[in-house]
Amino acid sequence: MASTVDRTTSLGGKYLTFFLAGEEYGVEILRVQEIISMMPVTRVPRTPPYIRGVINLRGKVIPIMDLREKFGMPPATEPEQVMIVVQVDGVQIGVVADKVSEVASIPSEDIDPTPDFGADFHTEFLLGLGKSNGRLRLLLDIERVLSTDEVAAITSMPALAQAT
Amino acid sequence: MIPAELNDAAFIVIQLQPDEHDDIKALRDTLRHFAVFDDTASTQVRAHAQHAATALSLILLGGSDDPGALLAQASEAIDAAIKVAEQASRGEPRITKTDLIAIVHDAGDAGALSAAMDAPVEPPARPTALASVEPQPVAPTTVAPSIAVAASSAVSAPVIVHATFADGGMVPDDADLSLLGDFIAESRDSMAGAEAALLELEANPDDIEAVNTVFRAFHTVKGTAAFMGLDRLAEFAHHAESLLSRVRDRELPYTQAVANLSLRSNDVLGEFLVAVEASVQSQQPIALPSDYAALMHDLLNVDAVVAGVETRAVVQSATASDLPSATPMPSPSEPEPSIDAAARSSVSRAGAKTEADLSVRVRTDRLDRLIDMVGELVIAQSMIAADPAVANSGQHELVKKVSQAGKIMRELQDLSMSMRMVPLKSTFQKLTRLVRDVALKAGKVVELVTDGEETELDRNMVDAIADPLVHMVRNAVDHGVEGPSERERAGKPRAGRVKLAAFQQGGSVIVELRDDGRGLNRERILAKAIEKGLVSPSQLLTDSEINGLIFAPGFSTAETVTDISGRGVGMDVVRRNIESIRGRIDIHSVLGQGTTFQIRLPLTLAVTDGMLVRVGAERYVVPLTSISLSFRPEPGMLSTIPPGGEVVMLRGEVLPVVRLHQLFGIPGAVTNPSDGILMIVGDGAYRVALLVDQLLGQQQVVAKALGEGVGEVPGISGGAILSDGRVGLIIDIARMTQIARTGDARPTGLSQAA
Repeated sequence: MASTVDRTTSLGGKYLTFFLAGEEYGVEILRVQEIISMMPVTRVPRTPPYIRGVINLRGKVIPIMDLREKFGMPPATEPEQVMIVVQVDGVQIGVVADKVSEVASIPSEDIDPTPDFGADFHTEFLLGLGKSNGRLRLLLDIERVLSTDEVAAITSMPALAQAT
Repeated sequence: MIPAELNDAAFIVIQLQPDEHDDIKALRDTLRHFAVFDDTASTQVRAHAQHAATALSLILLGGSDDPGALLAQASEAIDAAIKVAEQASRGEPRITKTDLIAIVHDAGDAGALSAAMDAPVEPPARPTALASVEPQPVAPTTVAPSIAVAASSAVSAPVIVHATFADGGMVPDDADLSLLGDFIAESRDSMAGAEAALLELEANPDDIEAVNTVFRAFHTVKGTAAFMGLDRLAEFAHHAESLLSRVRDRELPYTQAVANLSLRSNDVLGEFLVAVEASVQSQQPIALPSDYAALMHDLLNVDAVVAGVETRAVVQSATASDLPSATPMPSPSEPEPSIDAAARSSVSRAGAKTEADLSVRVRTDRLDRLIDMVGELVIAQSMIAADPAVANSGQHELVKKVSQAGKIMRELQDLSMSMRMVPLKSTFQKLTRLVRDVALKAGKVVELVTDGEETELDRNMVDAIADPLVHMVRNAVDHGVEGPSERERAGKPRAGRVKLAAFQQGGSVIVELRDDGRGLNRERILAKAIEKGLVSPSQLLTDSEINGLIFAPGFSTAETVTDISGRGVGMDVVRRNIESIRGRIDIHSVLGQGTTFQIRLPLTLAVTDGMLVRVGAERYVVPLTSISLSFRPEPGMLSTIPPGGEVVMLRGEVLPVVRLHQLFGIPGAVTNPSDGILMIVGDGAYRVALLVDQLLGQQQVVAKALGEGVGEVPGISGGAILSDGRVGLIIDIARMTQIARTGDARPTGLSQAA
């Protein structure tokens, strides 16, 4: 756990927080390029379920990721409202959120390392837990969520089985 | 007029502190760029600027005990450059003469001045021996506006003018001027790249990739210059390349001395290009760059230079005299010009526009942005036109105006898209010429056949494959095709045949080079690769893996290094360039029968004429070139073949039916073919009937990558922005039919494609 503790010491800063399935998540503000309201997404066949599809962002085609699918949550009951476009290593990806909450300043001392829940929980996607103002926010390691390894897994996935 | 860079530099340099490395580096880069690329400044001004840049580099390298002195030296050199520039502008209209004064002043040869002014075209008599010269300290600030002062501050510099090198020869009469213009423009780009790599090397001398970049730049200039008949330039580039080749092979460490030689070589090549341009204008022989003779001498005596046995005068300014003497310092007074050369090149700078100036190079990212914006504009306009407030307003005038604006915007879109697209014709034409010349040099008879030269390709792709194609064609003629007698012995026609073809296949443009020569000798390739340490002898490789070895850096099977090919950079460059535009190159070779290279390029930004189709709630774009025919089948035309195959019979031809909704898992689509549309798609070899719900109409689209986040999707070649602003996916018919046929989602190999 030592490395996790080390990491949390430098995690303080500004986070864009948003709601997803009743929980409040945070993503480092520097990673966020823009927030756009929900628009029709073109489904791309033969991609994993967590790739919702692609959209036209002012002439550029960017993929949209469904975090619910990625984290293995049940599908949304009400339509999501926004997409948060993040940029990681020059790659732009939109992630779907129920709604955006605020930009919060979370100091390092308010960030706890993620507790270990065992292998079944996707805690590897979290930087830590922010707990300022009496609220708990799950701070996403967006780089890892969108990591190139994951992207590589998308392309190499034999998608025929799901398509039919 | 004093160049703005110099004025700024003078202002900045006096405020600099020796420890402000970032600012020093920025200033150094500005000066160096000015010195290398500013054609409007005289050689002398540029040499001073280079000197200042070098002094700053030495500060950055930390090799000096007294960086303050170096800073002062840089400042003085900048002042000197400004003074010379001032002189030049005062001395108008005859810039030539003022230049001469400056140059002759530095040469310290007052006698030559009058000789040069009397007869500037005739090279003044010069000792041809390499003069032994005592290094003399000189302060760069002693540049003075009058000849009298100039003579008194005489600097002895070595005079190295080989009698045979009085000029660079003529540009060959039969040289194609537009080719020459391209060559100059492209070489300038190469030089700029080499310059950047050299600067990188300064910070990181072990960066073998940077060495390779410089090496390739020199190599490319050499190859093309040789092809253009610019023998002197090719010869010089050859020596410069040899130097880098030794660095690359770790024969020679990248020391400061080597760095200086490389930078000077890069400068001289740049000046050479200017001189070639000038020569075309003036119909005079090519003026040799001022540093040419001295540098040539150094390049021929690299070991002596590197060992610190300076055969030239190392001129150190008084303020920098505490520098370690092992660090040679190029100084403003170092170049020893041949007077007529300098005279002519400065005339040329004042000259009119040349071929290379007729086109404007625009950064591709700007162009991309423009195309995106125009696309957005068209979509926004169609939204206005479709808005009920306009469409149902009953205001005919307004509707007319909106549609008029739409027409203009679509034209604008066509225009902006066409700005990127160029046919391969001119690229192929250059190669025709190349084949002729290389064949002649190599004593072979080769016939070049081209096909599909009207195929259009994105401009930057054409640029990116031009060099690789030159290398490949050269290789095909030089190494691939056998000599006439050898061919006869092998029972082939005397004339070798090289075929260059371009065509669209699915979502790709394919450029194919096929020769009927001796084919790749895999045994020899493997032996060579083992010898070079590229593979271990115990490794087991497939045929195609062995073929692939020819792309490894430093690999060459040619026994002799000629000025045509055989350095082993060629194929390395080829693959790198092609991969840089996300293309792929495959080799197919049969020993004794020939080799085929297939370059497959993605159609990023290539304009596609497509048919927009609907399947369920989704829309897809099918490239029009892949569609032979669309129809609604009668029930009687369809048959089912157990266990689950469907076929349609059309005019006696039986074609498998591929349900797109099934393949792509689209819900809510038409399932009875008689209710939908069958499109016959595919190439001649394999065609299928693709079931879609509805045809929505023809549309020209710009293919865009789906974004790195999605990666490659089998069966989809990209996305296109449709008129309602949403993304439509473009179907890669070749891959799609392949998936339908085999259920295999792996990338296509050459075997399937061929």
